[in-house]
Formats: sequence, structure tokens, C-alpha cells
Amino acid sequence: MEKPDLNPEEKPDYKIGKLFLLFAMIGVIALPIIIFKAFSISTGEALAKINKAPVSDFDHLAGQLFDTYNKTTPAYMEGNSTARTLNYYYSLRQYPGSPPFVPHDQVVEKGVEQTCLSCHERGGFVQAFNRFTPLTPHPQHTYCGQCHMKTVTEDLFRENDWVSVQVPKLGRSALAGSPPPIAHALQMRENCIACHVGPGTVVPIRVEHPMRGNCRQCHVPEETKALFSRNDR
Amino acid sequence: MTLTRRDFIRAMALKSAAVAAATLFPGISFAGWTPTDLPADSILWSKTPCRFCGTGCGLLVGVSGQRAVAVKGDPNCSVNKGLCCVKGYHSIQILYGNDRFTTAYVRKNGKMVPTPIEDALDIVASQMKASIEKNGKDSVSIYGSGQWSIPDGYTASKFFKGCIGTNNVEANARLCMASAVTGCLTTFGLDEPMGCYEDIDNADVFITWGNNMAEMHPVLFSRMLANRKSKTHVQIIDLTTRSTRSSLAADKSILFTPQSDLAIANAICYEIVNNNWVNQEFVANHVSFHKGKTNIGYGTEDHFQFTEKAETIDFDEFKAFLSDYTPELAEKISGVSAEDIKYLAALYADPDKRVTSFWTMGMNQHTRGTWINNLVYNIHLLTGKISTPGNSPFSLTGQPSACGTVREVGTLTHKLPHGVVMNEGDRKMAAKIWDVPETNIDPKPTFHTVEMFRALDRGDINFMWIQVTNPMVTMPNLKRYREGAQKEDRFIVVSEIYPTPTSDVADVILPSALWVEREGFFGNSERRTQHNAQLVPKPGEAMCNTWQLIQVARRMGFEKQFPWKEETYIEDIWNEYTKFHDNPKHRMASYKVLTERSGVQWPFVDGKETRWRYNGKYDPACQADTWDFYGKPDHKAWVWLRPYEPAAESPDREYPFWLNTGRVLEHWHTGSMTRRIPILHKAVPESYVEINPEDARSLGVVNGSKVKISSRRGSIVMKASINGRGNPPEGMVFVPFFDESYLINELTLDAFCPISKQPDYKKCAVKLERA
Repeated sequence: MEKPDLNPEEKPDYKIGKLFLLFAMIGVIALPIIIFKAFSISTGEALAKINKAPVSDFDHLAGQLFDTYNKTTPAYMEGNSTARTLNYYYSLRQYPGSPPFVPHDQVVEKGVEQTCLSCHERGGFVQAFNRFTPLTPHPQHTYCGQCHMKTVTEDLFRENDWVSVQVPKLGRSALAGSPPPIAHALQMRENCIACHVGPGTVVPIRVEHPMRGNCRQCHVPEETKALFSRNDR
Repeated sequence: MTLTRRDFIRAMALKSAAVAAATLFPGISFAGWTPTDLPADSILWSKTPCRFCGTGCGLLVGVSGQRAVAVKGDPNCSVNKGLCCVKGYHSIQILYGNDRFTTAYVRKNGKMVPTPIEDALDIVASQMKASIEKNGKDSVSIYGSGQWSIPDGYTASKFFKGCIGTNNVEANARLCMASAVTGCLTTFGLDEPMGCYEDIDNADVFITWGNNMAEMHPVLFSRMLANRKSKTHVQIIDLTTRSTRSSLAADKSILFTPQSDLAIANAICYEIVNNNWVNQEFVANHVSFHKGKTNIGYGTEDHFQFTEKAETIDFDEFKAFLSDYTPELAEKISGVSAEDIKYLAALYADPDKRVTSFWTMGMNQHTRGTWINNLVYNIHLLTGKISTPGNSPFSLTGQPSACGTVREVGTLTHKLPHGVVMNEGDRKMAAKIWDVPETNIDPKPTFHTVEMFRALDRGDINFMWIQVTNPMVTMPNLKRYREGAQKEDRFIVVSEIYPTPTSDVADVILPSALWVEREGFFGNSERRTQHNAQLVPKPGEAMCNTWQLIQVARRMGFEKQFPWKEETYIEDIWNEYTKFHDNPKHRMASYKVLTERSGVQWPFVDGKETRWRYNGKYDPACQADTWDFYGKPDHKAWVWLRPYEPAAESPDREYPFWLNTGRVLEHWHTGSMTRRIPILHKAVPESYVEINPEDARSLGVVNGSKVKISSRRGSIVMKASINGRGNPPEGMVFVPFFDESYLINELTLDAFCPISKQPDYKKCAVKLERA
């Protein structure tokens, strides 16, 4: 026997109710999101959009470095800079802190201003050398050839008895775990990020916390070995 | 030599590191230096002026143990504010070349024999005495340089002019900035620039006249670039005869035919006058007009004499004279388009632009060097752009103390520390301070540099003492003067630090203490006096040049005039010397102040330096609050009517090329110091001849191939450089003169400016052949 349709009117009502429930549920979930979204517009972003300026959450040059990583190409992925060592960097100098000579061929002999800086101001991977470009800590000085030259021979005119001091020691924190002092003179090297952050730098002096842009908040140059004493004039 | 275990391990470690690096980076030598046991933080820093050019950068030299081991720019020195050039950064390596003279040498039977320095000084004194007895006091001479520390030059002048009584005192600065001196004297009546390096920070337009600042004065060049970078409107205009690094950095580079700068400068004046751009008020109150002799010759013959005769004229006569120099007529002489000349004039005349003109050897090593100096001053005077911040006609010097020693102490034949030998008052002053009879000082000048070497060749001079300079590389028409120096009956004493072609012709070599191995003073281009203390010990028997002179003077009986003790003689000399300049026009800082500060500019009056002279706002010597050109009796600056006259020797059918000579950034002058700096020699190991690519093509010469260059005086074979650092125009070649293996001055002509007696190293005629 066929089961009697007890409530034939109920069926469509039931469907409507389900649909309503679905809408209500979507509403309950979506509304706060919409409301939240509406109230969470970042003013910085909005202003940046108006001014067409890039958004940056980084200190100092770290943003620029982020962009460099961000534009990663396959060449970047294969590039390595680990072959460079501190010893190699010092071998380009005559004493700790002297201007290094130019160790590669691509030197435009006539170049005065932009030729060197086109790579050394921005950094990045250079396919020709299979290396990341080291950054200059002083891009404000634009006449690079004033101090940096390419050598064309290894012969000397006359021998020289030149010697200098040892290279500065790394680390040297005053207390266990305290930030180490700056081991070199700051003149011409005020921009820490240039040599201590990024793929163009050598490993032992690369810092692991580049997002902290204000380096000299914690690292200070050691100007004297002497300790404080009163009336020392 | 004993090798300790530690040394051995260190050496092995270095070697293995070097090998590792060499495998990773083929072609790169490891270890620019050998580290000593001294740690990096053992360095003590002391200030000194740089040893090289006339910029006068402040350096901090780091000394560890007894050795100079590092250099920093001195941030307290306003000249360079902490930045140096590659020569400055490596300057201390000049102290440690293996072949330093550490003992005296005396020629015996044609061979140089090591001799105790006291004996060598005895020989020098007895040879001088003998020459004076036999041939008179004017048979002995001294030839120094702008590398002389101030006490060296002062002692030489006192000894020769005051004690012996000969005016045979010259310095190689005669070859370097004599035209700048006569330019200043004829226009302003007093020597040295009115402006200072602060003009570089204040100017809106820089016009460089035949001046490759990027290589010759890189630190000032960078300061100029920094000014341009910090503003949007600053312009650098490069007027040049050859395209250089400076040309490439300039906003506009204008090539002109050698010698035609005279026509260009006059045409700029023509434009200023004819467009009524003259600063009428300034000209009416502060300028007077004059003309001198024309067709004045070139001095290529022995015993050449020239006496200027000045005549006062009026503005209308000056205006009439300028009608020969319309931009169109000047274009025919110079090859510079009339449009460009008008553009230059408009820049100079623009009342809203501050204009600084720079020049060095292009204008000074010029057979009309005094004239072209006058003409550039004319432009600044007609527009009133002078002696205010940013408005500055400025001759830069090439040597560390060309100003301090040669120009201020006056180590030139006609000069005294104050004034000239011809002036009785000046002689009286010198005799009094020097404690010598007034009759000792000869009122007649003798020989200027070129004529002094001619006199040595002729035999009029038998004895020459050469200190801190290398004339056997730098004299023009060199062959004649080298052969002259080697003649029988000539006695040459050379005070040197390294063997050079000049020490090769010496009969006695005295080993000199160098720069920071002794105490001294330099004076730079902007009237800044800088003191250096002795920072490291002297090597072997090396002796300070001043002390060498004092020792010989005492041996000749002048103990009374040279009574000083070895511990304090530099301070004593400073105190005596500054008596000559004790007036508001030239007062100098005290010894104490100079030891404390990184340079002090004179006039230093009431504890204040003078940045701009001749302007009452800045200069305490002025009688008014406005401009006062107190060097001239009429208290006005003199505008000179100076025409264009051709060079002494121009290219012709037989010798169709101009020969231009000069320097490169890495080497300083004859390279006797910088070539011993390993890194600088490795960068530029030898000289070369720059040839225009078109000329090279027609000669069939490629980069690096050998070329024979010949002039009427000599020839030389060297490598060609095509499209290298500089590029001469067609019809010109350029050769750097630093390399003693390629003595380009055997080809140059000993023609000079008749007024300044400074030779022209930039213009003579040569031919080229493939070699």
C-alpha cells in the first residue's frame, strides 16, 4: 500500500527553508569578513596606491635586497658566492682598509661615473662572472677610478719592503652573547648593509638579522683600548 | 736570517691561502701585504698633508711599531673631508722601496762609492768653496722644487741669497706654475689665488681650461661632482685640446686648437662687452685697463731677455682691441664654433650664476702663459665674478708646496721671502732678519730654470745642488741639458731618496729623509699651510734636506746664520721665516696652531683664516667693506689687452702632429715615488702614446703596436694607445712623462713664456712612423 502523503504541502516549504538557512549561514560567515575587510584597509597601502609608491616594510636597504631576491631568475638560482673568502677580499688590498683594486676585466677605461655603479650600487647576480655583485658602501662617491684601479701586470718596477698589520679579528664581544664591536674604521664604510647583508657578501661577516636596519644601535666602533678614568686630560 | 717555527707556520699558512685563492681566481696575486705580528688595533693615527699634489689633502697616517702601515683621509681637513685618491691611500708605501738611498755616495773614478754622510757633506762644502774661489759666487747654484718642505726652501734661500750672495736659486715649480705667479702679479700685484676650495661647493658653473682634473686633482674633481649631484642646475664645461676622463664627466666638452685659448678668452670678452653684460659698477670702481708689449718671442735662444712695458689705456681702447675677436673670427683660429663661444660668454655673464674657472698646466705651460692667465682674469673682472663664494678664477698647483715653498718663500732667482731682490726695501728686510750684510744680497736676478741649465751646459755654472726633483726627466729639450750636466768640470750634488736619471748624473748623492720621516710644512693651492710631524724613523744615514743645507752652510763658515739645534730647528726656522710675512696681507699661523690643526689658511689675522682675499667682507687687509685690490698701487685689478699669438712650433708638412705631454692619475710627476708603489705600477706599468683612431688607421697602427715619434730634437719608440683613457683629436698625440724608460722630454721644445719663463710642454711638432 502506498504510504499516504500526509503533508503534501510541506515539501516545497522544506526546500525554501534549507535555501534560506544556506543564505543565512553564508551571511553569518561572510558578513564579519566583509565588515572586517571594510575596516581593515591599510592607510599606508592606500596612500602608496594614491602616490604610486612601492610599499616597504623594511629598514634601510633591506627592502631593495628583498626586491632583488623577489625578481629571482634561473641564473640566480644557480649562482653561488661562497667561493669568495675574507682572505680573498683582503688580497685585493694593501692594508686593512685600503681601497681594493678591481679584480675583473670589465672595466671601461674611460668610465667616470655610472659604469661601475650600474652594478656595484644595486647588486645582483652577474652571469658573466657567475657571482653576485658586492655592493659599494659609498655610492655617493661617483668617480670610482679615483681610488680603484685595474692592474695589468704582476711585475714590479722595484721591489718594496711593504708590510702592514694583521687583519682585524672578528667577534670580540665584550660579554658572552653581547653584540660584537665594529672591527674596522667606519670612514667610507658607514653603510653596514652593503658588506654585511646579501648574497654578494662573504659568509663569515654576513649578519643573520638584516631586518634590524639600525646596526649601530648595538654594534659600536672600538675607538680606544683605554678604560675610562676621571680627569684624564 | 733565522726562521722561527711561528714564522714558518705563518708563511706556510699564507702560501697555502695564496695557492687556494690563485686556483679559485686565476690571474690574481694574493696578499697585497705581508702582515706583521702587530694586530690591527695597534695603529696610532697622526695627521699630515699628503706627499703628492698641490691639492693638499689631509691624511691620517697609521703607525704601528716604527712603521707606517695604513692611511685614512683626515675628516678634520676641509680640503678633502676624509676622502683621498689612490696615490694618497698608498702614499706610505713610497717609504719602503727596496732601493732607498740610506747612505751617501761619492763618484770616484767614475763609480759611485758608498761614503759616510759627514764625509760626503765635507766634499760638497769644499767643492762649493773651490768653485766660488775659482769662478765666482755665481758659478754655484741650487735647484729645488715645490716638493721642498717650507724649511728646506727657506734655508736654501738664506744660504745662497743671504750668505753666499748669489741669486742662483731656482725650483722646478718654474716649470709648473710660474705663469700662474706672473698672471697674479700682473693682474693683482700679489701672488696666489683670491678664492679657496669652498668655491667648489658654491659655484653654479665650472669652466675648466685645458685641465684634466679627473686625473690631476681627483679629490677636487669629486668635490665638484658632489656639488653637481646635490643640485640640479650645476654645470661643468670642459674646454680642452684632447678628450679626457674629465671631458666624459663634463656636461659639455669643447675641443679647441692648441694655443687658441687666447682667442677664445678674448672672444668671450668681446661678447660680454658687446652685449652690455659688463658689470659696470664693479669695473668703474675696481678695474683699470692696461696694455703691454706684443710679439714677445719664445726664448728658444740662449741669453734671451724680455722686459715688459706696461701702458695704461681706457675702456674704449680695450673695446676697440676686442673687435679683432668676434666669435666668428675666433672660430677660425680655435675651431670652436661661434655658437659655443657665445654660450660660454653667456654663462660667464649670467648674473644669477656663480662661475669658477679652473686651470693647471694647460694654461701655465704655455708660451703665452702669463697672457692667458690675464685673459681669464679679464673675463672674471668684466663680470665682477671674483672674490665671492663660488666666483673664482683659480690656478691649481701640481706639487705639495709649490705655493708654500716656491711662491711664498720665494725660491726663484728674482724673489726673496718678502718681495724681490731688485727692491732695496725688500733686501734690507731680508738682510736684517737673516743677520747678513745688506751688500750680500745681489740686486740683480741671475738665471731662471731653463737658462740655469743652459748656463750649466755653457759652463757659466759649475756647481749645481739638486734637491727633491728630477730634472733629467722633466727638462724640455732634455738631451742638451743632460749632456751639459755630464760635462767635465761640472759638479752635481743630488739629494734624493731613490735612484733616478738625475742621481745617475750626480757626483755626490745625499740620502734624504722623506715626508713623515722628518718634520716640515707644505703650503697648498688655496693658501693653506699644513704641518707634519716626524712619524717614523729615518732609514740609515738619511738626512732631512734642511739639515743637509745647514750642515754644508756651517762647513762654509755660516754658523752664526744657522745656529739651530737638531731637536727644534724646524720650529726655529718657522718662527724666523714668518717675520717676513708679519702683515695683514700675509700673516701666517703660529707653529703651535699649525701643529694642532689640519692646515690653516693665510692671511691668518686675529685668529681668523681668510677665505676670500681682496673682498672687505672676508679679508681684513682691505681698506673698505667692498672689493679692494690692494696689491696694485691704484687699488684696482688690471685688465690686460693681450692678443692671440701662435705657438713657438706648430705642426707643418714635415712634422704634422702636435705633441702634448702630461700625467696620469696613478703616477705623480716622474714616477720616482709612485712607480715604487706596487699597486700603482701594476696598474700603469709604462708610458704610451695616445693616437686618434683615424690617424692610427692611416698609419696602419693598432693598439699596442710600436710607434716612432720624432721631433727636431729627438725621437722615441713606444706603444700606441688607441681609444684608451684619453683620446687626442686628429693631428695630435699625447704622451705621459712619468716613465724614465721613455724620456719624452728629449722631444719637447725649450720655448717658454717670456714673462714667466715657464716652458710649454703641451705644444711642439712631431712626426709618427710605424716602428
